[in-house]
Order: sequence, then C-alpha cells, then structure tokens
Amino acid sequence: MRNHSLLGKIGIYAAVAATCGLLLFPIYWMFITALKPANRLRDFPPEFWPENPQWNVFADVLNSQPFGLWMWNTVLVAIATMILSLTVGTLAAYALSRFRLRGGQGLGLFILTSKMLPATLLIIPLFVVFRSLGLTGSLWSVIIAQSTLIVPFATWMLKGYFDTIPPELEQAALVDGASPLGAIVRIVLPVAAPGMAATALYAFVISWSDFLYARTFLTTSESKWTLNMGIATLKGEFVTDWNVIMAASLMAAVPIVGVYLFLERYLVGGLSAGSEK
Amino acid sequence: MATIEFNQIQKSYGGVQAIRDFNLTVDDGDFCVFVGPSGCGKSTALKMLAGLEPTSGGEIAIGGRDVTDLGPGKRDIAMVFQNYALYPHMSVRSNIGFGLKMHGLPKAEIDRKVAEVADILELSDYLDRKPRALSGGQRQRVALGRAIVREPSAFLMDEPLSNLDAKLRVQTRAEIVKLQKRLGVTTIYVTHDQVEALTMATKIVVMRKGVIQQIGSPETLFDTPANLFVAGFIGSPGMNFFRGPVEKEGDVAFTRFAGARIKLAVPAGQLPFDNAIFGIRPEHIRIGGEGAEIGLTLVESLGTEKILHFQTPEGQEFNDADTAADHDDERDASSMLARVIDDVRYADGQAIRVHLPEDKIHVFNPDTHTALRAASGQVNT
Ligand SMILES: Nc1ncnc2c1ncn2[C@@H]1O[C@H](COP(=O)(O)OP(=O)(O)OP(=O)(O)O)[C@@H](O)[C@H]1O
Ligand SMILES: [Mg+2]
Repeated sequence: MRNHSLLGKIGIYAAVAATCGLLLFPIYWMFITALKPANRLRDFPPEFWPENPQWNVFADVLNSQPFGLWMWNTVLVAIATMILSLTVGTLAAYALSRFRLRGGQGLGLFILTSKMLPATLLIIPLFVVFRSLGLTGSLWSVIIAQSTLIVPFATWMLKGYFDTIPPELEQAALVDGASPLGAIVRIVLPVAAPGMAATALYAFVISWSDFLYARTFLTTSESKWTLNMGIATLKGEFVTDWNVIMAASLMAAVPIVGVYLFLERYLVGGLSAGSEK
Repeated sequence: MATIEFNQIQKSYGGVQAIRDFNLTVDDGDFCVFVGPSGCGKSTALKMLAGLEPTSGGEIAIGGRDVTDLGPGKRDIAMVFQNYALYPHMSVRSNIGFGLKMHGLPKAEIDRKVAEVADILELSDYLDRKPRALSGGQRQRVALGRAIVREPSAFLMDEPLSNLDAKLRVQTRAEIVKLQKRLGVTTIYVTHDQVEALTMATKIVVMRKGVIQQIGSPETLFDTPANLFVAGFIGSPGMNFFRGPVEKEGDVAFTRFAGARIKLAVPAGQLPFDNAIFGIRPEHIRIGGEGAEIGLTLVESLGTEKILHFQTPEGQEFNDADTAADHDDERDASSMLARVIDDVRYADGQAIRVHLPEDKIHVFNPDTHTALRAASGQVNT
C-alpha cells in the first residue's frame, strides 16, 4: 500500500465501498423492512428510512413466537454438527495426510465426490434410514444429515492444512515421549488451529443456514423446530407479515456474527505460525 | 550413555531396498558420523534407530537392550532434526521442557533443568519467546537444548547444521563436539558433508546407495580408503585418479605416469592385471625433482597455499560415476590437482615436473574398484 498515489488510494477505497455496499444492501433492506409498519411495505417509491420506525417488532417476535426455543434448538444442532464433523473430519484428514494408505488418493477423491451429490438427492434415502432408526423428529436426524454434507469438505480443508505441517514435528514429539495420539492433540491440533477454526466456522454456518433437512425431518415435532424452520412457518397462506419475518431473520443472524468474532483471532493469529525452520 | 548396535538391518520401501545388510557397533561415548551422498540412506538408518521408521529385517540394540520393536518414546534417545522441528506454538521454555513433561517430571524440576540447559546454551534471555522470534542459530540451539535436557543415552542428529550459514556452521560444529565430549553421550550424526565428518567424528560410516562402504576413524578413512568411492569422497580437494599400466619385474610391480616409471608398494603377486586405477591426494604430489614434465592449466592461489591444475596424461584419464559426482571442487574429469605450500610463483601454462611418491599411491582393482594394499593385502569392505 506504500507507493500508491492519491488517485490509486481513492480507487481502492471506492472499490471497497462498492463491494461493501453491494454485500450490505440486502441486510440494510431487511432492517428497514422490519421497521416499517406492515401496510407501508409495498409503497412506491420506497422509503429509505421509515418515517415511523416500529422498534417494538423485535420484542413482538420474541413474545408472539417460541423464538427462544428455535434459537436454542438451532444452537444445539449447530454446535453438535460442528463437533461431530470436526472430529470425524480431523481424524480422516490426519490419516489421509500422514499415512500411505493403500489407495489413499482414490479414497480422498471419493470423499470429495460424495460432496458433489446434491442434498436433495440424499434426502429421501436419509429419510428412510432415519425413520427405521426412529430418529425422525429428533435433532439428531438433522445433526447427522448435516454432517454427511459437511464432513467431506471439512476433511479436505483439514487435510490441506495438515499437509503443510512437517511430520518432523510429530516425530520430535514421539521421540520426546508423547504417545501418537498425544502428539496429535498436543502438537498437530494447536499448530493447525487456524485450519480448525476455519473448518469449524464453515460447519457452523452451513448448519445454521440449513432449511431443507430441518423441514424434512422435523416438520411434525414443533418443539424441535430450528430457526429457519420456525421462521418459514411465519409465512402465512393468506397474509405474510414481512416485517416480522425480516426482524426474526435479522435476530437469527446475530449468533453467526458472534461465532465469527470469537474464531477470528484463531483464523488470523495462527496463519503465520506454521512450522519453524 | 550406551552402546548402539545394528545387526543385519534391512529396509525396503515397496520394492526398493533403501538399506542393505547394515551392521555397525558404536561404542559408549563415541561420536559416530554417517556420511554419504544424498539419497544413500543416512536419514533412513537414523530414523530406524530412533524408532520412527520400522525396519524390514535385523535387530537394533541400544545399551545392550533390543529396541527393534519399541516405539521412539521408549528408546531413551533424543533427536535433533534438520529443520529443528521446534513446536511453533510453544515458548522456548516449553519446547525444551516438553520431553521432561512427557516423562512426568515435577514442574519445579523441569524448570530447574530447563534453566540449567538454557544457561549452557546461552538461551536464558529467550526462554519466553516463540521459536519464530528467534534467529536461525538460536533455533538450532533450542533444538540442541531440547535434546540435552533429557539426558538420554544417545543423541541422534540429522544434518543439524545445514540450515546455518557457513561461519556459524563452523562455530556450532566445534560447540557440538565440545558439548558431546563434556556430556559423554553416544552420538550418531548424519551429514553429507565429508568435512563435517572428518572434523567431528571419532568413527565415520561411509554409505552409498544403502550399503556401508567403510567404517573407521577419520585417519583410517583418509589414509586407507577401502575403495574408489571412499577415496574420492573423503578429503578436500578430492583424490586424483588415473589409469596406468601394470608392469612386473619379478615380485615388484611398476606403473607409468606420463611416461615416468613409478614403483608400486603393492607386490606384483597381488596385481593380476595389465592395468589398474591409481589414486593420489593433491597434497601428496611433489613438484620438481626428476618427475614427469607437465603443463599447468590453472593456478589457484590462496597466498602460500596453491592449487595447481594440470591435464591428466593422455590416455590415462579415469572417469567414473563412482567418483566424479562427489568431488566438491570444480575440476573437470580430465584434470588433476596438486596442493602445494611454498614460496614459488607458478603461472598458467608453465611447465613443471611432478613426482608421485610411491608410498602415497593408492592402487585399485580396475574391475571391483576395491583398494589393494601391500601390508594387509586387500582391505575388507
Ligand atoms: N518414505 C519413503 N518412501 C519411499 N522411498 C523412500 C522413503 N524415504 C526415503 N526413501 C528413499 O530411500 C532412500 C534413502 O533416503 P534417505 O532419506 O535415507 O537419504 P539420505 O541419505 O538421508 O539423503 P539426504 O542427504 O538427501 O538427506 C532414497 O532413495 C529415498 O528416495
Ligand atoms: Mg537425510
């Protein structure tokens, strides 16, 4: 950035501003829509800031809907999915990265191709399996279904990261008296923290934004509804309170931002750590 | 402190044999160096000793105890890696103390030992830093500290100096030797640099393509190399080789170098060939006197020490993969070097007389490339 001329700098800021504007506009629109009274939503030309913002819409969402319960269910699912896919993904990735498995490369590619199957293709077989296991209507159905989607990608992300860690690091730990598992837990995982954090974030976001699986496996058990499922039911057959839906969606997005802020320091902090020469 | 024994160790990767019939005994307190060109299996041998690589056959014993099937943590060894393999997320203190922690020592004792080692290695000021905030030399010392703090029965080092610059390398070389003498811990040290081997080792193992070529003290290897490969590999500048006829008069054999007849120390009975390969070290060639006349092609002067280059006499060139690849000087295949220390000024193109003292000439079997010797006969390889 040192040698940029004033004009260059203006250009860069303009580009950044344009990008941010493009990305943030939908969120801004959600926000003002939430604040408008229901009967002013379709005004044209639209208001860019509501004359009479209805701040109580947020409280209304919390009071008139089991919003807290949905939120709780979603958090449970996201955290469980994150832990499950990270555990399975880490072990698989470590094995693929470190051991010369017979057909290891083929196996790796196979795992990746399974990621390319669309969720809609898997949903019917999964439904059949879960029903025979008695899992439909349980949060576990969604957790497992989401993990099948996340694990392949998580495995590849982590394998890429493990590949950059020199095996001498674990060898040194082994010689120092650590057990093979101890070497992974004490050395490899901390060194791979940025990769782990990125993967965890990925798993969390994918799980949080799931609608298809929740809709399919949880429809009949209202007490297990997740946020996306619950918010979808706000859309009525005859009238839809878009301002309420927007307010609920905005509140549903808040935890994602929180998780990101929490993981951010691992994402950035460790990136330069790598191994030492 | 312990002896180390390799007994008929084999190692193959898939169908490729990386180590063949590796037999070696290292005495207690020895500084043993594995040396050889890249890919000859030095690291593999060391990793098998460390337990990081399984053997494909044979046994390994440390301190008389068979460790062939023990994991690395149970062999009571410490290792220094070429890239140091410092734990990047831990402070220098934790790096050095990690092994002690794994062995369940109480914290107070770990702190005491770490402080002691940090003091020896002059790392006391850096104990709270992360490895990435250290210079290359400091990282190298942390790696050493991690090894010595454990007080193991053997140190294993895989090219620990190759990431340092030339000056620091020489300095650290001496420090490692001093440290090893002081601690008296049996050490196996891997390098591809024969100068390191000669200067540090009490025992050198020269390897090539997974096979041990010769085991011996630096002097033994320098004075009586077992074959062409060892002769060419050890020493700098490397040994000169030339082909020559074998002429016999009764029990005595002669060869010719640029026409001049040279008596050989090896008796005629041991030379059932018409010609053979001969070697002489650059520092053993004498200038002047009654030798063969030869034209200098290049003079490299380092003050009083000079390296004189001249053409190998026509028809006597010896060119072979056994030696050519491993000379670290830039001689071309058909020239020879003489290393002289005198006050004479030499010029390119000048004609001089060179004399090859008969007791300094090495004779090699032209087919097997093993050395032939007068006193003890053929040296075992
Ligand atoms: N994991 C492996 N799989 C297959 N072949 C291997 C493996 N590790 C080493 N080798 C082969 O074994 C031989 C010996 O390798 P090694 O690393 O011991 O060489 P080295 O003497 O240490 O060389 P350098 O001086 O370059 O470190 C080489 O030919 C190498 O290609
Ligand atoms: Mg090596």
